[in-house]
Amino acid sequence: MKRNHMKKSIIMALALIMMLSLAACTGSKNNDNKPTSTPSDSTPAPSGETALNPEIPGWQLDTSPVELSWFVGASWYPHAWGETLASKYVTEKTGVKIKIEVPSGEANEQITLAMTSGKLPDLITMGSWENAVKKLWEGDFVFPLNELADQYDPYFFKVAGDGTLKWYRQDNGNTYGVPNDSFSPNLMHETGMTAANQTFLVRKDLYEEMGKPDMSTPEGFLNTLQLLKDQYSQYKGQPMSPFFAQGNVPYGMTEYLQNLLAVPHEKDGNVYDRITDPDYVAWLKTFRTAYERGLINVDFLVDSDTQVDEKTNNARYFMMVREWNGMAAVNPLLAASANPDSYYIAVDGPQNSKGEKAKLFPGNMDGWMVTMISKTTKNPERAIRFLTYLASEEGQRDLFLGKEGETWDMADGKPQLKPEMVDLVSNDIEKLEKEYGIMDTYWMVRNPVIINQWRPEKTPVLKQMEDFANAQADIDSGIYKGLDPQGDSDAAVAWARISQNWEEVMPELITAKDEAAFDKVFEGFLSRRDNYGFDKVMEFRQAELSARKAKMAE
Amino acid sequence: MFQHRAGLKSFFRQWQLQSMVIPGIIWMIIFCYIPMLWLIIGFMDFSIAKPMLQSPFVGLKHFQDFASDERFWRSIRNTLGMSTIKLVLGFPIPIFFALMLNEIRSIRFKRTVQTISYLPHFIAWTIFGGIMLNWLGEGGVINQLMMAVGFQDREILFNSDPKYFWWITYFSDILKETGWSAIIYIAAIAGIDPALYEAAELDGANRWQRMWHITIQCIRPTIAILFILAVAGMLGSNFEQIFILKNNMNMRMAESLDLYIYNMGLVSGRYSFSTAVLFARSIVALGLLFLANYASKKLTGDSIF
Repeated sequence: MKRNHMKKSIIMALALIMMLSLAACTGSKNNDNKPTSTPSDSTPAPSGETALNPEIPGWQLDTSPVELSWFVGASWYPHAWGETLASKYVTEKTGVKIKIEVPSGEANEQITLAMTSGKLPDLITMGSWENAVKKLWEGDFVFPLNELADQYDPYFFKVAGDGTLKWYRQDNGNTYGVPNDSFSPNLMHETGMTAANQTFLVRKDLYEEMGKPDMSTPEGFLNTLQLLKDQYSQYKGQPMSPFFAQGNVPYGMTEYLQNLLAVPHEKDGNVYDRITDPDYVAWLKTFRTAYERGLINVDFLVDSDTQVDEKTNNARYFMMVREWNGMAAVNPLLAASANPDSYYIAVDGPQNSKGEKAKLFPGNMDGWMVTMISKTTKNPERAIRFLTYLASEEGQRDLFLGKEGETWDMADGKPQLKPEMVDLVSNDIEKLEKEYGIMDTYWMVRNPVIINQWRPEKTPVLKQMEDFANAQADIDSGIYKGLDPQGDSDAAVAWARISQNWEEVMPELITAKDEAAFDKVFEGFLSRRDNYGFDKVMEFRQAELSARKAKMAE
Repeated sequence: MFQHRAGLKSFFRQWQLQSMVIPGIIWMIIFCYIPMLWLIIGFMDFSIAKPMLQSPFVGLKHFQDFASDERFWRSIRNTLGMSTIKLVLGFPIPIFFALMLNEIRSIRFKRTVQTISYLPHFIAWTIFGGIMLNWLGEGGVINQLMMAVGFQDREILFNSDPKYFWWITYFSDILKETGWSAIIYIAAIAGIDPALYEAAELDGANRWQRMWHITIQCIRPTIAILFILAVAGMLGSNFEQIFILKNNMNMRMAESLDLYIYNMGLVSGRYSFSTAVLFARSIVALGLLFLANYASKKLTGDSIF
């Protein structure tokens, strides 16, 4: 009897524990769900409120240890915080410890999910073109940086520069994000430096053995592929992959290819519908012919990232529509491999029927990614101060060069990377990034205007590609990037349907059995596009372009 | 009436045991019932930036929208196609596997086979799908095997051709889940009274007859219930599996209803629209459940309710 009684009480205790733990879970979840409405709600006013001086960096006020989570919206981002020399140095200096989070899939989807659940990381860095960025701003999920700066760190206005603040200012007068790699056209004209990184790459040894064939016309392109198939279809016992396009349909085969073909963005003051451009369509037909003849495969449309990496690392692609900085780690390795000529070089790729040189995207004011501070952070004051610090010249130097005396020295009043670091850049970039964490390891708020003066000369196998891209950059075309409607307006819904459909149609075009089938599929797409409301998209693009031009003129 | 009272009585007698189900019920209320309230946004133009009730009601607008979207009907076709294959060709396999296992005499061998067969269940689809993609790739084991045997003379990119997709999902599902799904049948078989077999053996029944007339008949209620649930789940699909294996080229055959809802909701940000689709799907699924239950009751006498 007694034993039975004990059994009962144990069962009851267990049940109680389970219920309590469940209740506890849900309870805490509810608390987190409520975004703190204003910064002053969640945190006491800064202790030294009178000490706020716009001339003094705010981070110096408080260097007690604090941990912030930082979402970096790139699934491939490989670095952590706290292991490397640069990150340790910054944590030691500011007290801020960072926990880097990367998405397991698409950044956009992950952040959208986080928005619906109300649990956002403290700092968020995301591609400026992503749908979710707009939602974060409109939905008031992130702090207006100007308000935070007013309250906690007016030094921010000094470092953020009027230009970028103004560029990202919304209609309500607030600015929510700080971009990295942001280039203004004026700056590019002045310095000749651009953020262009779109290149057409080929494997050097094969290209030269073939006698540097011309690939800028459809005939030359097909002949070169035929030559490859006849003579070089195997490499190291595995089949060569003749062609690769980065970012699959929406990027590599559409926008990027159109840039290579110098398809205009605007005609007679009207936004141009680039997809129907005759040169572009003619090249898509060339790809179809190549597929029909068995000269290219469709692996570039279906391979997962790991499969692409594997082929790249083994130099199994012959030609690539690919940004050169994606090759920054691989190219030096290939050049140092047993077959030292198996690295990639930039050459003239497909060109339009007039033989014009490519008009590549040069980088723009939007920059690459934007960094924001979420309203769910418990330490908004530390977050804005940290962000200000990183954006300032001091922070840029600490992250890009590391610690004085260890990774760099002053020479003639100018910081200079130590020779052994420069050596690592060309020989072991991985060690440089994993051990020291300098240069392009933490690029989340990288400002090219500040850091490029410290950048050592690139190794020749990278410099060739960079120079090629720079020479073909169309400096004034930055304004056309990302004109498409985002969010949940009618135009945005129409555009989402159209672009998702295009992703399916493109493979059908390339694998169409003959030209007539191609035309039929393409016409089918165009009429579907009209049904989905393409006119609204064009209207939006036109209005957006006018608005940007007005902003630039300010 | 009498029975009812007896049930109530034993319920109170076992209250300690019965109370253990409370956490489960709470879980279900929080994660399954409360979210149902949000189905209301299917009738609104919901915006993530605004509080829910400030969004305007638009009636059945979203329902009309998806009914006129050819992509929706395509996703219905794909879902039904994949589910039918899984139901017709996939449902009997775990039963068959469980019966086979049951006939094995050596306990150790039986346990080993069982353990190995359900191990893949514990590998996440993200990983298992990645392995599948490698197997199906140009240099993958399947291409090498087919070429070595002589079934094909050049590599085929299996996951680039839409016509293979349903079969890829079917075979990868069998590979991963057969062992796991068999467990419930094995448990049912273990519960059969050995006296039945002994009696049958005395009467001269051979192994096949014993399997057919005793084992199958005894686990029939289990089979019926799982079949009813499988039919009710026909409009669902294995989202993770499809999400990993799909790409732009096989999307035509790969986009299931779940994936469509995901693409419309989380990818395109049309929350109201996708909620409307989800709502409609749930209603149809409920209908299927009643249908299967009724059919099973009529045909076999076993049913859930």
